[in-house]
Amino acid sequence: MKFKADEIASVIQKEIEDFRGQIQTAEVGRVIEVGDGIARCTGLSTAMSGEMLEFSNGTRGLAFNLEENSVGVVILGDYLKIKEGDEIRSTGKLLSVPVGTALLGRVVDPLGNPLDGKGPVITSDSRPVEWQAAGVAERQPVKEPLQTGIKAIDAMTPIGRGQRELIIGDRKTGKTAIAIDTILNQKDTGVICVYVACGQRGSSVAGIVEILREHGALDYTIVVAASSADPAPIQYIAPYSGAAMAEFFMYQGKHTLVVYDDLSKQAIAYRQLSLLMRRPPGREAFPGDVFYCHSRLLERAVKLNKELGGGSMTALPIIETLEGEVSAYIPTNVISITDGQIYLESDLFWKGIRPAINVGVSVSRVGGNAQNKAMKKIAGSLRLDLAAFRELEAFAQLGTELDKATQSQLDRGYRMVELLKQPQYAPLHVADQVIAIYAGARGYFDKVPVNKVQETERQLHEFILSEHADMRDKLVTEAALTEEVEGLLKKALEAFVARLAAKV
Amino acid sequence: MSDSSVKRRTESVLEDPGALAVATMYARSYMTAAAQHQISNPEEELNSLVDDVLANSPQFEEVLFSDSVGRDEKLAIVDRVFAPKSSEFFANFLRVLVRHGRITMLPMIQNVLGRLRDEAAGRRRVQVLSARPLSDGSRSQIREQVKSKLGFEPLLQETVDAALIGGMILQVGDTVYDSSLRSRLKQLRGRLAEKAINEIQSGRDRFSHPEGD
Repeated sequence: MKFKADEIASVIQKEIEDFRGQIQTAEVGRVIEVGDGIARCTGLSTAMSGEMLEFSNGTRGLAFNLEENSVGVVILGDYLKIKEGDEIRSTGKLLSVPVGTALLGRVVDPLGNPLDGKGPVITSDSRPVEWQAAGVAERQPVKEPLQTGIKAIDAMTPIGRGQRELIIGDRKTGKTAIAIDTILNQKDTGVICVYVACGQRGSSVAGIVEILREHGALDYTIVVAASSADPAPIQYIAPYSGAAMAEFFMYQGKHTLVVYDDLSKQAIAYRQLSLLMRRPPGREAFPGDVFYCHSRLLERAVKLNKELGGGSMTALPIIETLEGEVSAYIPTNVISITDGQIYLESDLFWKGIRPAINVGVSVSRVGGNAQNKAMKKIAGSLRLDLAAFRELEAFAQLGTELDKATQSQLDRGYRMVELLKQPQYAPLHVADQVIAIYAGARGYFDKVPVNKVQETERQLHEFILSEHADMRDKLVTEAALTEEVEGLLKKALEAFVARLAAKV
Repeated sequence: MSDSSVKRRTESVLEDPGALAVATMYARSYMTAAAQHQISNPEEELNSLVDDVLANSPQFEEVLFSDSVGRDEKLAIVDRVFAPKSSEFFANFLRVLVRHGRITMLPMIQNVLGRLRDEAAGRRRVQVLSARPLSDGSRSQIREQVKSKLGFEPLLQETVDAALIGGMILQVGDTVYDSSLRSRLKQLRGRLAEKAINEIQSGRDRFSHPEGD
């Protein structure tokens, strides 16, 4: 195919001939003060709160504070190019971002501008950044599982589609790793993922993008990046833009997963904005509406009813705590908003228990209904068993003589803890998880030395896949541990144990 | 005061909206009070003070507006310098301003007063930004158009900005009527880009199955 220059020229000429420019009427004001990402403007007497405004150099702004004589404007872009006395226009529109399939596989900033050097995002759809969450009548209960591929989570704190599950922990405890593993595990499930990096280091965002690309997860993922070098307004709106991009797919009836990494940095950006806007500070100098800032965002995670297509948006907000302090302002807020939390501890992490999930404190308030039936059956007592084991373990450290039953319970516990460990970027299918946990809980690993458990588990998966694939397929399709499947599973495990014994 | 230079409030590029609101309040009160005392032309004295006295003797203005001259001293200046020559009403107005520390607002109050008078007479200021200086013909055309469409007598304040390329921008209060070539070209650029995007998207849709593959 060849383009003809005159053809294109004539098309453009026609376009220009047909063009009738209307006189544009707009409300204007002038900048009286600018700095630190915000501007104070006069005029704009009809500007609405949250309205998008445009500075004379094309930079966009957001009407944030409507005061008696001036308007406080948040600058979404380079505020150094805006001067005192510049004109600012109202647009009568809300801030929106481009949405659509064209964004999949792209890295964009919170305004939808590409950051990955792959050319412009070509889409004609857009969606307001702020959107009222679906009402009660538009929802249905969470009942489909969202598999994270992580044994400890899928077994004990299961997540459902449309749920909001907080990932909370100190720095360097593997919070992001859990979120990334969950995204990787959505491959071939049709779940569209949005990863919102808010206030992260540019290098770690680049690293995450690379990992997603390597594992082929970028094809169904949108990365919204607001690094710590970006101005506070950009960091503040990043989660809302990410939610808007996911909502577009959700209202088409698709399932989506949004990771907000992390909301404590967004709260800090919002605090900065609010203080610069001279809103009164409250606890920890956060503004009074920081709760609403997070609640309206997380309320947008929803499982829609059938009439609306039954799409869903699962949210995985991440909160970073300082020295395990969960009673700080932002962590308590987000804990109370979400439907459960996965609590990560640095002690566990450095003990080698990775993912470093504190099973006792982590909960999922709605995920139980959504859990895979097979998993529910075998994992039901797992949490209590582990709690009992912790108690025994503490008691055993006193060095007292233990009776045989207690000793075997302890041994089983050590092996279960070992079994729940999982390397990074290696999510497991739920059927494999069921097999592993079943084997551990029913004592098939009791003869295996503790330091060999992980290796043996790997061998078990290989064994099942090569010799009992039909049993595994049945488990996958039925998604329940029927008597028939359980019988087959038992037989397979016995064969495996026999082979292990023969090897030794 | 040990500081040898006289301190003055820094001037902003723009009028402070808070100060403007205060000045408007003073200007309105001045008008109302003048009407109650049946003073026919209250602006005359104010205009002559700002335009004739203060503009011609900046040092005097400096003393009057300075923060380093006390309130009592300023009151004495008003009594000595203005009271004998002006009407008692105007002298009182100046005393009020000095007592409230608002004497620096005199030029702003004068400005607002002028605007209020214009508005009362059905005239409003219209800023005209054009690419080329206006001819008499287009000036009267603008006047007529504004009068018929917006219903007031415009007082044109003209500025020339070649960057508009052609056409003009009218501003009345906070509202802008933009018919400049610059913004039309910008509009056209947006239109063409949008068209191209739609074209690309429809081309892409043609090659993909709507139900997915």
